[in-house]
Amino acid sequence: MSRHKISLRVNGQSYELEVEANRTLLQVLREELEMTGTKHACERGDCGLCTVLIDGVPTKSCLALAVEVDGREVTTVEGISKGEELNAVQRAFIEHGAVQCGFCTPAFIIAATAFLKRNPHPTEEEIKEAIGGILCRCTGYRQIIDAILDASRKV
Amino acid sequence: MIPKFDYLRPKTTEELVGLMAEYGEDAKLLAGGTDLLVLMRDKLIRPRYVIDLKGIGELRGLSWDEKRGLRIGATATLNELLESEVVKERFSVLWSAVGVLADPTLRNRATLVGNICNASPAADTAPALLVLDAEVEVAGKDGERIIPIRDFFTGVKRTSLKPGEFVRAVRIPNPPEGAKGGYYKWGRTRGEDLAVVGVAALVANSGRRIMRVALSSVFKTPLRVFEVEKIFEGEGPLGEQIERAVSVVREKIAPITDVRGGKEYRLHMAGALTRRALEELLGGS
Ligand SMILES: Cc1cc2nc3c(=O)[nH]c(=O)nc-3n(C[C@H](O)[C@H](O)[C@H](O)COP(=O)(O)OP(=O)(O)OC[C@H]3O[C@@H](n4cnc5c(N)ncnc54)[C@H](O)[C@@H]3O)c2cc1C
Ligand code: FES
Ligand code: FES
Repeated sequence: MSRHKISLRVNGQSYELEVEANRTLLQVLREELEMTGTKHACERGDCGLCTVLIDGVPTKSCLALAVEVDGREVTTVEGISKGEELNAVQRAFIEHGAVQCGFCTPAFIIAATAFLKRNPHPTEEEIKEAIGGILCRCTGYRQIIDAILDASRKV
Repeated sequence: MIPKFDYLRPKTTEELVGLMAEYGEDAKLLAGGTDLLVLMRDKLIRPRYVIDLKGIGELRGLSWDEKRGLRIGATATLNELLESEVVKERFSVLWSAVGVLADPTLRNRATLVGNICNASPAADTAPALLVLDAEVEVAGKDGERIIPIRDFFTGVKRTSLKPGEFVRAVRIPNPPEGAKGGYYKWGRTRGEDLAVVGVAALVANSGRRIMRVALSSVFKTPLRVFEVEKIFEGEGPLGEQIERAVSVVREKIAPITDVRGGKEYRLHMAGALTRRALEELLGGS
């Protein structure tokens, strides 16, 4: 199997890595960079819990090869706040009790943060559409949608 | 775990043609990977070489002009189509199909060309391309050719591409003046699932009435039902013509039973969606 030298930035920091062709971005983030905020679940594109940003664009990292992100900028949930200072979406999730078991939370935070950058004043329908690719197995969607709506009013 | 393979990233189509000739059946092309990587992970296919198309500049993007219509490059993503004003305004049937394929995150990677090359009977963009008379621009070691979309799908997961050939782009002529269209997808959930039945319809009324219907998930390939088109060229009350179209559609399709729905249910829903599509699109004209 081919091995590839790649350089990428993750949450603002540069990394030079050597990866095997079959490694997904998800595996490299969790197993090599030890950033386990991005969750490993269905591994087939269905649940969206592995969502990260590649050059600002939400992407399911279980369906992206690590070698494909050579030269790109990746943002994970670990890089979404300024140190201890949570962003508006994160604060709203806490206020609205939008976290139950918490397994889906990183993905929703990442996707909602990127979405509000593109569409700062969305309707509820637009929010539902935007998070359509992410599954909350605790089914707390009402709180999640309320939190995102609220965050959009505060940013 | 995805099984082992060698990853290749050509920069030009010449290089791509060379790699495909060298590795033949051992190689698979990678666009967005939303079909390919899932199949590999499930070990349903085990290519020894994966050739990524995203390094090739000339396969990227969309272009449109008044004379030649729309051209969709092999690595253009579905969200690029959805964000295009031209696609939204002039190719509404395609735009509405792209908007109900999978979910917004997946559409950042998934491509239209990947959707048709995967050739699932459920491919959501296929019925729209069929009613728009799209053409597939193909290239390979023996040169280039154009395959009309109606001849592209040959069976479940089968296309008329020959070994060593790849799709460079999909071309869509501008639809007839005043055309309206839509894709009606019936699924188990609102997003993120393949269609139980999908119906694309295109209608236009410029001098002569044009009406085209194509379906997904009810035949071994996506299917345009040409037989309904004559019905609308004749005179007669619209309601009766629509009912005749619905029964012709039900005669021509051959749905199967699978996890998403039974054969009878699909037959029923194909009729119901065809009726809804035609009533909504013809109602106003
Ligand atoms: C969670 C999930 C939900 C989905 N929902 C839907 C849905 O609702 N509707 C639907 O229709 N599909 C759906 N799909 C399937 C898939 O996302 C689409 O078919 C998508 O458009 C495939 O595009 P891609 O770029 O990812 O293709 P890839 O996976 O990169 O390629 C698909 C196939 O085409 C071949 N190929 C790619 N480009 C070329 C080329 N230029 N020339 C020749 N062969 C080529 C590849 O070798 C491969 O065999 C879903 C998939 C997932 C994982
Ligand atoms: S783990 Fe990637 S979509 Fe489920
Ligand atoms: S909070 Fe448990 S999966 Fe969403």
